[in-house]
Amino acid sequence: MLEYIISILIVSSFLMLVLKRDLIAIGAILVSFFMMVLLFFQDQITIVRFGGWVPPFGIVWVMDGLSLFVGLLITGISSLVAIYSIKYIKERKHRFYTLLCLMTAGLLGVCLTGDIFNMYVFFEILSIASYGLVSFFLDEDAIEGAFKYIIIGSFGSSFILLGIALLYGVTGTLNFADLALKISHSPVFMIALGLIIGGFAFKAAIIPFHAWKPDAIEGTPTPIGAIFTTSSSAVGVYGIMRILFVFGMIQLNFALIGFGVLTMMVGALLALVQINAKRMLAYSSISQIGYVVMVIGFGTTLGLTSGLYHILNNALIKGLLFMGIGCVIYLTGKENLDEMGMNNTPLLICMGIGVLSMAGIPPLNGFVSKWLIFMASWEINPILTVLAIIASAITLAYGFKIFSSIFLSGKKSSGEIPKIMLVPVVILTILCVLIGIFPQLGLNIVEPAANALLNQNQYITAVLGG
Amino acid sequence: MLETLITSALLAVVGIYCVVVKKNLIKKVIGLAIFTNSIHLLLISIGFREGGIAPIITQANLVGFAARAVDPLPQALVLTSIVIQLSVTALALSIAILAFRHLNTLNTDKMNKLSG
Repeated sequence: MLEYIISILIVSSFLMLVLKRDLIAIGAILVSFFMMVLLFFQDQITIVRFGGWVPPFGIVWVMDGLSLFVGLLITGISSLVAIYSIKYIKERKHRFYTLLCLMTAGLLGVCLTGDIFNMYVFFEILSIASYGLVSFFLDEDAIEGAFKYIIIGSFGSSFILLGIALLYGVTGTLNFADLALKISHSPVFMIALGLIIGGFAFKAAIIPFHAWKPDAIEGTPTPIGAIFTTSSSAVGVYGIMRILFVFGMIQLNFALIGFGVLTMMVGALLALVQINAKRMLAYSSISQIGYVVMVIGFGTTLGLTSGLYHILNNALIKGLLFMGIGCVIYLTGKENLDEMGMNNTPLLICMGIGVLSMAGIPPLNGFVSKWLIFMASWEINPILTVLAIIASAITLAYGFKIFSSIFLSGKKSSGEIPKIMLVPVVILTILCVLIGIFPQLGLNIVEPAANALLNQNQYITAVLGG
Repeated sequence: MLETLITSALLAVVGIYCVVVKKNLIKKVIGLAIFTNSIHLLLISIGFREGGIAPIITQANLVGFAARAVDPLPQALVLTSIVIQLSVTALALSIAILAFRHLNTLNTDKMNKLSG
């Protein structure tokens, strides 16, 4: 079943170029989402062996709790973006959907594969589709953002390739489970680990490697900005977690905590001074990923659960805010916060909930994961909790800046938002409120993922022993 | 073995220098290609064996094949990676062309976002 999901996406992306029917791509992405939902009810590790080769030799795809969680998130956000873009993208639609399908396939492939080189290949498919999408509008912003992204992004993926080369040179294997058995803590392994994590840190936009993200998002179509800040960052963090998992190093890690805190604080402060709405949300997502990286560095069950939960909530909130801002940009054509006045009650309610949730106000979903993060960091060091709360307060400040400049500025713009663009926004709002009121809903998806991360032996037996 | 390692390290330094220091978009793309190729050289040299034979089984070399053949896997990896590198370079160059059409320059100092 796993291989069919990706095949559907890749085949339909090529069909799109030839047949130019938007329905093919939208259908393919929706089908992939429903297939992932079906897989959610299978309570075991799913393994696909390509060509019938026994694991250490052939390529295997493995889907454990973590892959399933990230896969659900990716296909869910992509489906909403595909529906949203029916109206948002006005010209060269078939190319947009071709790249969207390809990007979804790449994102999914990275988290389903059990082979490190295969992961690199899917990572490149994802990156090339992203470069294309950033340059989609072909105006000055898009071109400069895309070029910056290409140079920095390929530089980052080269580091992953270099790490893979070193790993293969020492162990002679590329399979995750087989690697996990052969890894020791000698210097070569640590260099390879650092290189691969560095490569994924470019994708997750952790602070010293974040320079491409605001520029790329400023140039890209707004719905794709939603994918960049949710699925793309999630896949970057997934790569970091998976490689730490393979190395058996899900434990207290001061480097990750340090980078996480830096990303969290600097990202929030930089978001505060932006005047472009898309750039502000880009820096905001960088800051939220900082929280996640910090708690992954704790290595505790609570830390991992809260981090994964925060990935889910960040995806819901950033998806909601990006698509909401996209509605405003669609009507007014302006991206600067000062010029974005707007008067629309449904959008006001949705964006209001999104902004409050991003800042972590109690009955909403942002509060649930932030509370878990505060508890996890209190166990390690109370100073970290204080820092997290400060970053959270800054989030409230810039969140309010977005909200007030759009809805409270008194400017009104004419025109009506197409209904189909409001549908994804409303769906995400409902999810935000639901998860806020019933936190168990989110925990049901997140806890298997955290358990899978902590249970390396189960993974190895499932891949090599079965 | 040692020579290829040193060569690939030198190429990597040249590539990184070129990407970071040069101001011209085309030169940045060239630097990226040099850097990636240095990694390809490293990968190939990992699978190489002094006096090894091509990893193709025939009747003649059946005896002691595993002891003498070079490792074919890195070659497959490098082939895949070269294809990826080709498409990235093509995309980067086409975007550089578009940038030139928009701004009439390839110098990053004269661009808003790339000057930083």
